[in-house]
Amino acid sequence: MARSPYVVERGSAQHRVLQLVGFALVGLVVVRAGLTWDNAGLGKLTDVFIIAIAVTGLNLLVGFTGQISIGHSAFFGIGAYTTAILVDTYEWSPGWTFLPAVAVCFVVGVVVGVPALRLKGLYLALVTLALGVAFPNLLNRYTSITGGPLGIKSVRYLPPDWTPFDGRKDTAKWLFWLSLVLLIVVALVTSNLLRSRIGRAMVAVRDNETAAAVMGVNLAVVKTVVFGISAAMAGLAGSLFTLKLTLADPTLFTLVLSIEFLVAMVIGGIASTWGPVIGALVFVYLRDNAKSFGEDQGIDGIGGVAFGALLIVVMFVASGGLVGLARRLKAKVLRVLPRVPSAPAPPGATV
Amino acid sequence: MLAFATDLFIQRTFDGLAKGSIYALLALALVVVFRGSGQLNFAQGEMALFCAFFAQTLTLSGLPVVLAIVAAALSGFVMGAGVERFLIRPIEKKSPIAVVVVAVGLFLGLNNLVAVIWGVDARRMPSPFPNEADDFIRIGGAAVRLERLGIIAVLLLLVALLWLMFNRTRIGLAMRAVANNQPSSQLVGIRVGRVLAIGWGLAGAIGAIGASLLAPQAGLSGAMMFGPFIFAAAAATVGGLDSPVGAVVAGLALGLIDAYIVGYLTWIGGDLVLPVTFGIILAVLVLKPSGLLGSVRVERV
Repeated sequence: MARSPYVVERGSAQHRVLQLVGFALVGLVVVRAGLTWDNAGLGKLTDVFIIAIAVTGLNLLVGFTGQISIGHSAFFGIGAYTTAILVDTYEWSPGWTFLPAVAVCFVVGVVVGVPALRLKGLYLALVTLALGVAFPNLLNRYTSITGGPLGIKSVRYLPPDWTPFDGRKDTAKWLFWLSLVLLIVVALVTSNLLRSRIGRAMVAVRDNETAAAVMGVNLAVVKTVVFGISAAMAGLAGSLFTLKLTLADPTLFTLVLSIEFLVAMVIGGIASTWGPVIGALVFVYLRDNAKSFGEDQGIDGIGGVAFGALLIVVMFVASGGLVGLARRLKAKVLRVLPRVPSAPAPPGATV
Repeated sequence: MLAFATDLFIQRTFDGLAKGSIYALLALALVVVFRGSGQLNFAQGEMALFCAFFAQTLTLSGLPVVLAIVAAALSGFVMGAGVERFLIRPIEKKSPIAVVVVAVGLFLGLNNLVAVIWGVDARRMPSPFPNEADDFIRIGGAAVRLERLGIIAVLLLLVALLWLMFNRTRIGLAMRAVANNQPSSQLVGIRVGRVLAIGWGLAGAIGAIGASLLAPQAGLSGAMMFGPFIFAAAAATVGGLDSPVGAVVAGLALGLIDAYIVGYLTWIGGDLVLPVTFGIILAVLVLKPSGLLGSVRVERV
């Protein structure tokens, strides 16, 4: 405490080096895990990446644009079923199903976003809730397309020939790297989007709709497009999910999943780029450990009690999410100053 | 649907109203909390479930059902007030969205705690109303079960009591003041924290009664409150989140819609009842974005 934090200026050489070291460390840990862990461990990390992709999409909508959705389980499910149906019925190669899954979810997302033009807060939440609630029922009803309650099975994605992976036994490794790459792509898209014109417009819409409209932000376009992008990311995650699980059935895409996304998002910290990843990581490990703890104890429900209690404890320790907590801790050792805008350079001078 | 049978219609109406009364009770609980805290309590249904299990345990030890339900309502009050004081209030100040996760944690915790304490098998809960096979009265040719009428009567009684409390007592006045403007009520000397805790407690008690009345027909099990909670949340929202009257009207309406769709529009089929009901809700919300009876907030920029 007595030591004052180390100070760097944003964008300075020192800051860049620190950032690089940070990324390199995270990268090293993940790559090492990818090369050395067994399939079960990799599978769990793959779950983390998949949830992180979906939560990144949700965060774009809830955290940055201020529109609530409890219906992302449906987008996730639409992505999953698009892939499953294309692979199973039309015998597509799984790798090519990502694009249609993303496109379908984008379109559905835009359509669902239309009521958002009139509704705010919990009223909007109810519309998305309706989608989340109705989705499994629709799957059960239209059996000829979706396979009904039995779902669709054997949706496998074996490693393609150009990869160094060896057929069926390396599927877990292949999906791990694929999910990682897609998560990185989604994270890059998100962070670039947030720095763009539309990203600024999103934050303006969140902070004050009327003021944003006055400043010339087209509310209708921003809201519906962000809904679409957010849904598309959830759909991509759903595609991966169904390929990892090798099946899709209605019980997998209930409201519970939407709520899990929300919980992971808040645990990580809303409106932050790293929040979804950290939230997904902590969420998956807490959930799985609580479950196996419950199985060890052999009492029905004890694992669920532990998980519920843990969620509450996490919120008491880090009410602003774990990223918020990490920021507070970091501020004690390192302070990043915003760059001072330089005065207009005199002609001929080098900046 | 060729010949319109009046008696069948009357019967379905009462079925729907009884079902809707449960939704209305739970929606009322949600609205009471929302008016105070501006939060939708995700754990409301599970809190109610826990109290209903408590009531069932009491009846096993020989307590009359009505007294057991009263005890459940009291425990619901204590639980609600306690949750507000110790779990919600410390978090809410720091981050309102974190409350959602706390409520989800509470939801999971309570739902599983029920399994830990009472096991996973469904239990039978005795009804506080006569519900033998011949306990019905004839209204317009239709046999209406006394249990259905009893549930509707309890709803009406509770609504009347709540109305009296909100409009004729000091604490009710304080609750309305807090709902309207928290800082101002604090300035005129209302103990806002206590009022909020009482609101949550009241909601807990109402929910407990609702779950205890639902249990005899639905069977007491861990999943009992999932469906009713979703309908109640929908009713509270469609009614207008800050309007108790709206919650009751919308709750009853949802019960009726449900009963009529199942009864008359059989071609829709079981799987689509929920989507169709929600379709109707969406249509209402798109026409009236603040719910049927909710207050329209004017925003200042």
